Amino acid sequence: MSLYVLEGLRPWVIQRVSAIYIVLFIVYATYCFFSADVIAYEPWKNWLYNPFNTTVVGIFVIALLFHAWIGMRDVILDYVHNIMLRIFILAMLMGALIGSGLWIFRILLLSVVN
Amino acid sequence: MKFKIYRYNPETDTKPFVQQYELEGVEPGTMLLAALLRIKDEQDESLSFRRSCGEGVCGSDGMNINGVNGLACITSLDTLKQPVEIKPLPGLPVIRDLIIDMDQFYKQYRAVKPYLIVNDPMPEVELAQTPEQREKLDGLYECVLCACCSTSCPSFWWNPEKFLGPAALLQASRFIEDSRDQAFEERLADLEGPFKLFRCHTIMNCVNVCPKGLNPTKAIGRIKSKMVTRSL
Repeated sequence: MSLYVLEGLRPWVIQRVSAIYIVLFIVYATYCFFSADVIAYEPWKNWLYNPFNTTVVGIFVIALLFHAWIGMRDVILDYVHNIMLRIFILAMLMGALIGSGLWIFRILLLSVVN
Repeated sequence: MKFKIYRYNPETDTKPFVQQYELEGVEPGTMLLAALLRIKDEQDESLSFRRSCGEGVCGSDGMNINGVNGLACITSLDTLKQPVEIKPLPGLPVIRDLIIDMDQFYKQYRAVKPYLIVNDPMPEVELAQTPEQREKLDGLYECVLCACCSTSCPSFWWNPEKFLGPAALLQASRFIEDSRDQAFEERLADLEGPFKLFRCHTIMNCVNVCPKGLNPTKAIGRIKSKMVTRSL
């Protein structure tokens, strides 16, 4: 049962690296948002259609999902001591995060394709 | 001077209670341990606490003083707000009054193998160190195992069997940093996993309370960076 549940160092490193990436992305995205002439669907779609932006947004979503997983996993490992309950909550969390991830990619892909 | 002291004798009490004491004629600069000894001598000989050297070297009289862990023998009454509330160190079972069962704490201490591991045949002379190598142990070897740090750490409260706690991790770092130790790899490998080391969330309660002014959080950080370097 790997799932980053029984590891220590790797999740810790991923948490820090993802945090740095998320901060950098937020700075970049905020800059783009405020320097845009019009805030509307079409300019946003064009912005996202740019291969660079598609890539950084994709990495941002992945970083955010990993960061959320590790942070929530830490809280659960700290406070939930019943093993079955812990596995259940972790599984629910994993499902919710993967579901959210797929949903985000669906929205992003549709916006780029259409 | 007023004191509110946690009392519990499992043989006679069904639950813990707080008892008030008052001391007259406390001289400035008196240490808390001296006041406790006076209460024991003059007012209530059943009041129980551990103590030994009386000068912050043995680490026996760790207790929770006005909400902060510390050693009674080096805590001046001048610095304390009245009434002085004294409780046993939190997070470990109480044996009686201010005396806690430190088995779990020592178990975690033993788990980090707090001794030099040398696989080579012992040399005929001492295992020498350069001054630089010796310097790396400063801030690590001075720990007196009073348990003030580990019992102020929420991660240790929640997972005392699994998380080693700041005191044991400081000792782990002390031997990981030692140039004479030959179990570097094993020591780092032993600390892997989500619980033993990585329940530390760097809140630094341990640093705030250490009566010897040590920094277990920094030591834990040094272990983490060694783990990262090793894995690359």
